Amino acid sequence: MNTKFFAAAAAALSFAAAPIAHSEELTISAWGGFFEETLAEVVYPGFTEATGIKVNSIPQPADQAWLTQIANAARAKQAPADLSLVTETVVLRGQNASLWAELDTAAMANTGALIDGVYAEMDGKTNAVPALAFFDTFVTNTDFSADAPMSWAELWTGDWDGKLALRPNSNSGLLEITAVTFFGGYEIMQTRDGLQQVIDKIAELKPSVSLWYRDEGQFQQGLEAGEYTAGTYYHDVAMLSIWDGLPIASTFPKEGGIKSTAYWVAPAASKHTEAAQKFIDYMSQPEVQEAMALNLGIFPVVPRETMNLSDDDFAAVGSDIAPIKLQTEIHLEEGEWLEERFQSMLSN
Amino acid sequence: MSAVTATKDRGWIIALIPLGTLVLFFVAPMAYMAAVSVFKNDPAAFFKPAFVLDNYAKFFAPFYYSISLRSFVQAGLGAGIVTLLGFFTVLFVSDQSRWLQRFWVILLLSLLCLSEVVIAFALLILFSQSSGIPKLLAWLTLWDNPRSLYPSFGAMMAGYVMLGFSIATLMLFPQVSRRDRAIEEAAQGLGTAPALLFLRVTLPMFRTALLAAFITLFVYFLGVFVMPTMLGGPQNWNMTVIIQDRAVERFNMPLGAALAMIMLALTAVLAALLLWLNRQQRAEDA
Repeated sequence: MNTKFFAAAAAALSFAAAPIAHSEELTISAWGGFFEETLAEVVYPGFTEATGIKVNSIPQPADQAWLTQIANAARAKQAPADLSLVTETVVLRGQNASLWAELDTAAMANTGALIDGVYAEMDGKTNAVPALAFFDTFVTNTDFSADAPMSWAELWTGDWDGKLALRPNSNSGLLEITAVTFFGGYEIMQTRDGLQQVIDKIAELKPSVSLWYRDEGQFQQGLEAGEYTAGTYYHDVAMLSIWDGLPIASTFPKEGGIKSTAYWVAPAASKHTEAAQKFIDYMSQPEVQEAMALNLGIFPVVPRETMNLSDDDFAAVGSDIAPIKLQTEIHLEEGEWLEERFQSMLSN
Repeated sequence: MSAVTATKDRGWIIALIPLGTLVLFFVAPMAYMAAVSVFKNDPAAFFKPAFVLDNYAKFFAPFYYSISLRSFVQAGLGAGIVTLLGFFTVLFVSDQSRWLQRFWVILLLSLLCLSEVVIAFALLILFSQSSGIPKLLAWLTLWDNPRSLYPSFGAMMAGYVMLGFSIATLMLFPQVSRRDRAIEEAAQGLGTAPALLFLRVTLPMFRTALLAAFITLFVYFLGVFVMPTMLGGPQNWNMTVIIQDRAVERFNMPLGAALAMIMLALTAVLAALLLWLNRQQRAEDA
């Protein structure tokens, strides 16, 4: 212990003594808790080692609060962080409010291999880059039903003993599941008439649903205990329960799991955009994506063949089945109307 | 004499502390909320400073006013049940020995430290098919196919009761325990039946205290979030839940702020009305 301490102290001193020309520092925010802590512990040190750029990792609050902070800071030409890990909703809103810095893809060679490419604005400017993805799947209690569901349609046709649990917000992916499973794709979501048809189809589920959950812990606990027979839930979190030997299965139906992607954005007011690009480039490497899949349970944003993930490790974070994608732009445009219609349907 | 005047003159300095606190923690956030409530929401980006009444107009859509009606009904019912339950408990406790009374007061005080979340989780366990009352009934072979008792209106009301019970009892206890029992005894001596005694003598004696407890709980219950979301279903979600959905989940701060302002105004009007009615009644009694 003592030897270790002295070794560490000596190392620290020798670093301090070494002349560092430009000790640049990036402030990077990510969702507070497990995510931010694991990134700071497992991923960022590798970046500092590779580039000499220090990382000051900060936890970021819920999306809405964080976007408010960034917008308020932008008015004062400040940036609360040089880089942020955000959802697609935040990317789009920030884009429309001109909050993000333009990123130079030429300076981020590794982003060329990203599955979905970079996130481009209408006029071709890049201001967000996929960072990681995660899935919501069809989770079931195996004590109740040993067979894995083949299709999302089984939410409607299966016997769940009236004990389904689903998320209550219109942007949870349930609309997309319904559109793809029963209406042949997302086109139906383009009009309000179409959206209403999708909502009416979801209404058929109401007698089978016992919980429209807002608290994830409440659902997870109930599913493990057999209080709920099935529902939608985070694939990676469900895998943790499965490894603990709990009677749960997480299935990718043939229509796919619901994929959500998180992005890196750099607030326009940040003075470290170049270093931010180096960071994004680093994070887009297959090796780093692989490490994140293993340590964070995220689904990589680079092609599977570029990594050395075993079949088991890959299955623990996602699937090769083409995913169902959240139609974020529709949820932004029609958000208010949609949420009102959806909640009216739920509470009637 | 002069010393007293000097103290009086400098009294405002002391008043600055509560005044400052009030401005900082109440008036300023309220003013900000009032300002945001007339801002224009940009559904694709963010809200912009403006002066529009759109957000207020939306309240009159059937969806929102039915939710607000639901909030008032649930809060009113909860407050009514808790006030009455608390009143009976206090009547019972105030007849006990000094020691027992102390025991009850300490117990009720300690209940106050339980947060909404802790109470909700405790009730979830109690009402769940895998560990609570349904399982017990199944074990006693009284229920073949036990199911969780939540989400339901009843489970949510149980949550309201647990949340507000100590507040109601502690508000009523001082007055009830010091009441002049001679009045009840006189009525009893004149041959008044127990039920009538309660309705015509005991209850009117504490009308103002009961009303104060009712209004406190009513306002408190209007703002609960955890009970409707964890113990209730979509049919029980109140305005607090919807405001959180709009302001936080949907980034629509102006609509959330406007809905909050309307609820605030309606609550103030209702509370004022109740107090005014009470005053009218008292004037009539006199």
